[in-house]
Amino acid sequence: MTEAVLSNVAVLLSIGRHPVSGRARRGATDAQALEMALALRPRRLTAIHAGPAADADALRAYLGMGLERLTVLVLPDGADPVEALIAHLRRLAPSLVLTGRQAEDGEGSGMLPYLIARGLDAAMVPDVVRVGPADASDATPGKAAIVQALPRGQRRALTVSGRLVATVHPSAPPARASAFGPARRGVIEPVAVPVTVEVTADLFLSECEHRPWRPKPKLMRVKRGGSALDRLRAATESKSGKGQLLVNPTAEAGALAIYDSLVEQGMLP
Amino acid sequence: MSNSPIIRRRVDPRAERAARTVLTGPRPRLLRQPVAPTTINERRRDPRALRTAALVQHLPRPRYDWTRDAASPGTAAPAGVAVTAAPAIPLRVIAEPAYLVLAMLDRPGGEVSEHDRQVIAAARLLADGADAGGGGAVVTVATGSGAALAEAGSDRHVALPEGWADDYVPERRAAAASALMAALSPRHILFPDSPDGADVARRVAAAAGERLFTGVQSLSPDRATRQSSGGSLETGHRPTRLMTVAADAFAPLDGVRHEARPLDLATPMVAGEEVLPRLGGARRLAVDPDALALSEADFILSAGNGVTDWQSFAELGEALGATRAGSRVVCDAGHLPRERQVGASGTVVSARCYLAFGIAGAPQHLQGITGVKHVIAINTDLHAEMIKRADLSIVADAQDVMPALIRLIRERRND
Repeated sequence: MTEAVLSNVAVLLSIGRHPVSGRARRGATDAQALEMALALRPRRLTAIHAGPAADADALRAYLGMGLERLTVLVLPDGADPVEALIAHLRRLAPSLVLTGRQAEDGEGSGMLPYLIARGLDAAMVPDVVRVGPADASDATPGKAAIVQALPRGQRRALTVSGRLVATVHPSAPPARASAFGPARRGVIEPVAVPVTVEVTADLFLSECEHRPWRPKPKLMRVKRGGSALDRLRAATESKSGKGQLLVNPTAEAGALAIYDSLVEQGMLP
Repeated sequence: MSNSPIIRRRVDPRAERAARTVLTGPRPRLLRQPVAPTTINERRRDPRALRTAALVQHLPRPRYDWTRDAASPGTAAPAGVAVTAAPAIPLRVIAEPAYLVLAMLDRPGGEVSEHDRQVIAAARLLADGADAGGGGAVVTVATGSGAALAEAGSDRHVALPEGWADDYVPERRAAAASALMAALSPRHILFPDSPDGADVARRVAAAAGERLFTGVQSLSPDRATRQSSGGSLETGHRPTRLMTVAADAFAPLDGVRHEARPLDLATPMVAGEEVLPRLGGARRLAVDPDALALSEADFILSAGNGVTDWQSFAELGEALGATRAGSRVVCDAGHLPRERQVGASGTVVSARCYLAFGIAGAPQHLQGITGVKHVIAINTDLHAEMIKRADLSIVADAQDVMPALIRLIRERRND
């Protein structure tokens, strides 16, 4: 039964944007999501892109990773893809939907997987680095075991029951390279959005004003209050000579001092 | 002439000459200029005296503090006294708030993080904003009590159940936030844009069907901006109801005191406990410390030229559970791989604790550890730069201390 959990996988792929050149490319975490889906070897793998069918070259980079076909939900420019994706995914009924963290182009709010999870009534797990069927010891069938990435390189294990939408963390296994031949041979399959779905333009985005990003000055942690001399000292002087100093202690005394200091810092139990 | 009041100064050439004489004897020496009158004009400022009074540091270059009382030169208080003598920060009470701004804090492990303080500072901008009328109150929502948040700028505090602090319960937190949104109807709700905070924010926004303005970089009562298009555009909009605040975009408040009065509300807990969580069995996994990138590591054990006993160094790294690293010399010599090098030409680390054996502290190495909170240095040279930088310095040979520390750790573990 555990196989059934991850047998029907859908991957949502977007067109990325190179951070320096601004060129269209495969999205970094989207490609990792596809890599994760390919590594699961599901019985059915569907890759979906929603948007105007313009940048076929960027999408072909995904096909070059070993996909045979890629479904494109054709939407007018600037339309909200959420409703169309939910309607399409409902028909597919995947047990696992994988996607990148947030779009590299456009608004990039990272809301899409959450809205889709809500639309599909699925559990939502962010920042996944590994997905697999739950251990035999965990017994309950229909559960997926997930490893999540946390800050500072830490990892957290979770089990999730039922349908699942997961976003992939950049520290997940790297995406394989895209090969030219498979990228040419792969099929991009345009699918019209069902008539029942109302495709609307995004009003919020048209209300926003956009301008080129200018780097902001870095926030300095200046201690306010005190006299000008104190503030000057805090800003200019490096902390030196304020620590505890032990000169030529015995090895045991030195080790004890280090041990106590580490315990105080919470580094040792 | 008789009615003229002019008093002419009598000139006494002998007395003047005597005053100008600096050396008597067979060859007297006289000053050229007449000596200044002894009485000092009160209204005249003496720039040299003012400058010496304002001088606070001679070396390496003179620094002046012009904010001191210029009327009393030379009577400046010694450093440190001003801070202790500062009056207590007045308590600011907002009794009848015109509107509420919610700050949903992470409080990882029960501590108020720097990012949490920044979120409260951003919430204060919205609550005190003159354009919006001001008079708003900041309501912090976090696990634990609000006492620690009063000095960060919190007016009211809603405590979440203690058990949520260590568990991973994003669905319950989101349900609690949604319940508070309905109960208090705040004007804005701010979340930290940290992995966990942003996760909860997106869950709340998806449940409420509202727009989430993520990663706010600048904020005023009538405009909020964020980065979009992969960081190439700045998108501005008037502040929406739900926003997440980017890290290091706002300075945390300092020198304020608010009441952080607890609000007794049962709604968030009830709403949170009602949720049937789909995510379960959360547990931290043991991570191999040597597999971590140095920039991500939290605890680093570092070796320099003073380490020759590499066996003990490896054992110590294992016993401490620390990520091993080294200085440039060590990596050049091939004792550690190149990606384990700390310093200007290696990795700039931001660990919480850095334990350095046999490192003298070249400027390039100290540059690499500027972000480290707690440094412990063991070196044979009392005058090494590393000893000056460290919070705990031990002048001893690394080869003696390392085995002793390994023995101590194993003893304590077996106890």
